[in-house]
Amino acid sequence: MQATKLRLNLAVYLIFIACILLAPMFLEEFALNRLAKFLVFGMLGVAIALSWGYAGILNLGQGLFFGLGAYMLGMSLKLASPTSMAQGSDTPVPDFMLWNAEPGSKTDLCCINGGSWLWIPFQSHWFGILMGMALPTLVAFGLGTVVFRKRIAGVFVSVITLACVLLVRLLIVDAQPLTNGWNGLTDLGVLTIGETEFDPYSATTYYLVAISLSVTLILGRLLTETRSGMILQAIRDDYNRARYLGFEVSSFQVFFFCASALIAGYAGMLYVIVAEFASPSFMELSFSITMVVWAAVGGRGSLIGACIGALLINVIETSVSETPALVEAWKVIIGLIFVLVVLFMPQGIAGLASSVTDRALERFSGRAARLRQADSQHQPAE
Amino acid sequence: MVDTLFIGLSVGSVLLLVALGLAITYGAMGVINMAHGEMVMLGAYTTVMTSTWLGLGIWWSLPIAFVVTALVGLLIERLIIRRLYGRLLDTLLATWGVAILIQQMIRLEFGLSFFGIHIQGLGPGLQNMSIPDVLAGTINIFGAEFNKYRVFMILVCALMTGVTWFIMYKTSVGMQVRAIIRNARMAAACGIDVKRVNALTFAFGSGLAGVAGVLMAGFKTVFPDMSTPMVVDGFLVVVVGGIGSLIGSILAAGLLGQVNALVAWGHNDVIARAVVFAVVILTIVLKPNGLFAYKRR
Repeated sequence: MQATKLRLNLAVYLIFIACILLAPMFLEEFALNRLAKFLVFGMLGVAIALSWGYAGILNLGQGLFFGLGAYMLGMSLKLASPTSMAQGSDTPVPDFMLWNAEPGSKTDLCCINGGSWLWIPFQSHWFGILMGMALPTLVAFGLGTVVFRKRIAGVFVSVITLACVLLVRLLIVDAQPLTNGWNGLTDLGVLTIGETEFDPYSATTYYLVAISLSVTLILGRLLTETRSGMILQAIRDDYNRARYLGFEVSSFQVFFFCASALIAGYAGMLYVIVAEFASPSFMELSFSITMVVWAAVGGRGSLIGACIGALLINVIETSVSETPALVEAWKVIIGLIFVLVVLFMPQGIAGLASSVTDRALERFSGRAARLRQADSQHQPAE
Repeated sequence: MVDTLFIGLSVGSVLLLVALGLAITYGAMGVINMAHGEMVMLGAYTTVMTSTWLGLGIWWSLPIAFVVTALVGLLIERLIIRRLYGRLLDTLLATWGVAILIQQMIRLEFGLSFFGIHIQGLGPGLQNMSIPDVLAGTINIFGAEFNKYRVFMILVCALMTGVTWFIMYKTSVGMQVRAIIRNARMAAACGIDVKRVNALTFAFGSGLAGVAGVLMAGFKTVFPDMSTPMVVDGFLVVVVGGIGSLIGSILAAGLLGQVNALVAWGHNDVIARAVVFAVVILTIVLKPNGLFAYKRR
């Protein structure tokens, strides 16, 4: 029965991946772009489920990693924007740096204002992409090492991550000349790798996002099946027992915390490509909690569940938001969904699906057993 | 400098009032109430409503807001929190949903705005609350000028903190609450009606937040989202101070309020908030149980 369930699980993954890969055949540009955004959110759901469902770490600051990834690639794309090239210098300079320039300084990234030299390497898209993955992972590694070595657990991890994301958001807002403050990075260029241009409304970009999500889902699922994935779940279920069994508990937690941050950072980069902006709103508390809502509704204990939860909520939200009168009402519904899911469906849609299949399989195998029994009773008579 | 410390003290005292409620509910019940900030907001709206509809001043609003928010708190406890005991992180998520619901309730005027009915004082807009003349202007204490309203805020907060201390340490209900904080199951075994005491604790904590809301209404604009940063701050105070510890919450509120005011005075508000977050992170990393941990047995 376990094997049947695993096969069903595999089938769900395959059907989902097939669906998102075939979607461009049925959708036009605008809808495709929108779906790509939702898939990015789905990826965030996967990141949350990995840290929350499998590691028991409720990260209320996942937006930090998302935002860092977004800003890193956003910087590269800002430099690729036509306006950055047209500021009267040989090298690209973001327009907002000119507005915040120190008087009398040269219009060049090296010295237009304090710290602007940090932008110089971002002229290379590869550097932006590399940083978009490396920085969130490194930050998660530093934070995770401190937190998990100290054996901080449960709600305290949530508070620290929450404080971190708000802290970084304020730093970004405050560094106006370097980051354009509240406005964030807008008016971005198009990501170009080799000959391929990733125009946000093209099918190419959609495939980039869809394939990335598929790979993330598969790798994430495989990761949880490995030995370290098992140990991680053991740690979640009983921290002390895992410790007494001799496992170096903190390194497993740090590893999965980093993996989750990497996924979120990568999702941040994809979001910048698709949505063409990066802003401090990515690091607002409400956004980080919204991600947790997606995972909770979809099922925190299942990667694909969390992913589908994110897609589902966003699809409904967008369709509801088309009627202006319902925008505010939608918030009531989402609040209500949240309360009801936590009260009555703690394992979300995935948990519900799992228990339904369990029951169906039981009935099915029960009937099969009875049939076999009936057969064996008939045989001697023949 | 004295001015800065004084502003820090007044900000810290409102923060304390919010944190006290969180501290006792978290300590006693293991509930992280993200809707606590909405109690502050409801308190502020109660002030606006009583003054626009009943013509009552801020003096009356204090007890009325306390009762209103305490009742709302009781309702939330009965309907939702009660089902979630022992599931700490789930309470955080469910109450976040409750917070959204309460905000939307005010913004949509209890749903009446769909039918084109508008109630003055509610809705998505900003509300302003004027303070009575007695509290306007400044007062001279020991040769320095102080804003009267801020003095009033500090006094009310001190009074409410005193009342909380009295209830917690001098009454039998308070003793029961402290027993529950130490060990809820043992308390139940000793014949304490844990459910009833928890409901009362939750209502009282909500009431304190409502009073904080009245005070906020006097010096800040009132709008449905006003309290979202408040609950985060209050929560940080609780964690820094040590869970279940009144004295820890008091000192942490003072500390964070002062840090905020001092840095804001030296640099700017944004950096001040950032420094507060940094202090919180450092505190948890260095002393994971908070500054004054309350021993559980």
